[in-house]
Amino acid sequence: MLEFIIPNNILCHAVEAMLFVSVATAVLGVIITRIGISSVGFTMAHAAFAGAAIGMFLALPVTIAAIAASLAVALLLGPLSEKAKLSVDATLGVLFSLSMAVAIFFISYMQTLGQGFHASSLLYGDVISLYREEVYSLALLAVIVIVFVILFYKEITALIFHRKIAESTGIRVKPVYYGMLFIIAVSIALSLTIIGGLLLYVWLVTPAAIVYQFSYNLRHMFFLAPVVAGVISVGGAFTGVTCSLPVAPLTAVVFGVVFLVAVLFSPKRRISNSKN
Amino acid sequence: MQPEAKKPLISLSGIYTAYEGDHAPVIRGLSLEIHKGEFIMVGGPNGAGKTTLLESINGLLKITHGHATVCGLDVRNKGHEVRKRVGYVIQNFTFDPLTPFSVKEVVMMGRYGKMGFFRRPSAEDQQAVERAIGMMGIKELEDRPIGILSGGQQQKVLIAQNIARDPEIMLLDEPFSNLDFLSREFVMDILEKLAESGIAIVLVSHAFDDLPDRDIRLVVMKDGDICFDRTCPSEHVEATVREASTPGAIHA
Repeated sequence: MLEFIIPNNILCHAVEAMLFVSVATAVLGVIITRIGISSVGFTMAHAAFAGAAIGMFLALPVTIAAIAASLAVALLLGPLSEKAKLSVDATLGVLFSLSMAVAIFFISYMQTLGQGFHASSLLYGDVISLYREEVYSLALLAVIVIVFVILFYKEITALIFHRKIAESTGIRVKPVYYGMLFIIAVSIALSLTIIGGLLLYVWLVTPAAIVYQFSYNLRHMFFLAPVVAGVISVGGAFTGVTCSLPVAPLTAVVFGVVFLVAVLFSPKRRISNSKN
Repeated sequence: MQPEAKKPLISLSGIYTAYEGDHAPVIRGLSLEIHKGEFIMVGGPNGAGKTTLLESINGLLKITHGHATVCGLDVRNKGHEVRKRVGYVIQNFTFDPLTPFSVKEVVMMGRYGKMGFFRRPSAEDQQAVERAIGMMGIKELEDRPIGILSGGQQQKVLIAQNIARDPEIMLLDEPFSNLDFLSREFVMDILEKLAESGIAIVLVSHAFDDLPDRDIRLVVMKDGDICFDRTCPSEHVEATVREASTPGAIHA
């Protein structure tokens, strides 16, 4: 798609992949952080990681296995907390640890079987060996996420405001909520091999957290979060590929630094300091 | 006001309601009929099931046994359709001070359920929102973020959100808890006007001082059922609730 600007195929695919992944995850990140389900997103990301590892080990389609595991965790969360009489937070902690254990077990085991290279892409991501079709699917994902937010903007804002009030006004909250979980699961699964299971959460939360330092307005956040994520990710891809540095970890570090700078220069921080 | 001698707007017959995951029902075999334009005060001790009753009426909680018809719809199967026609001002809300929505946006959200998917607010929706904001006297707040308002102002916004919905029934759970005495009188006047316009008002409250100066229908709940349901003068409401709620009290 961007070959006319970036003639180097590897670099071009890396930039495109990072751009599309960052747009999709940043838009979803605004919803995740504002609804207050960051820990659900966190656990879904790690469950997808475990699902992908199992899928890779069993020679099943990795993306589908990742979606299934991610969704299973999101859907099991409520009933499991209820049965175990535990808070959702505690259940998330258990599921997160379990996901990590399963993922690391299978990845380590595959390394002993000589499949270490493929397995490590699940850990740290891989933007070098991408097929054109994979880039297209990421572009499609970004479009689907944006269209979802535009189509269900009313319902999403009502959910962000107050779930019970939204439900009491007759909004069909459940289809929107579960549709959102499904799209998060698909996004996580498709982004997993690009960014890696250990770093994916950085893309899901940090762009929204950065933009949140400067804006209260939800529309601005939906627009600015993918812009910030896109700029940082494309910059990371360029630098990483041209300097032979690991792209996803490098970009994740840049995200962290930008977040810290944003906090330092946030007008919200100045306002709260002046109040104190 | 005389309720119309027609089919009741709310008809509950022997209903049981339990919270998800709980085996013991909170509402136990309760029956109640409410007609168009009725103004009903629901009282009773904490834990009697007052909030559960409201959330059974609008289908937010699942009725496990019995029959429940609201606005001619079976609540057990058509919960979200019922909720489009029933306003509900919830108890114990808290909003993040940085909630990114203005008062006007929050009031408009009350219309979203009726609009359905894929529709944007129409001129009619805008008018309903303007009307509700004007009625609640919060015009000067309409562009301010809801999170920075006082509890009383937020309460008025939530009432406006429900008025904007043009409901047939309005359920209110402790709507006076954050209001000063002037605001309580103001809100009570509005509820009276809504009842006069034909909306059935079901009010759960411990604020007995601000009731309209006339006979009102009082429903007292105890242990998940109704132990008192009669019309009484507003000045006797507090004593009646107290007496009816007393353990071992016998009621007609």
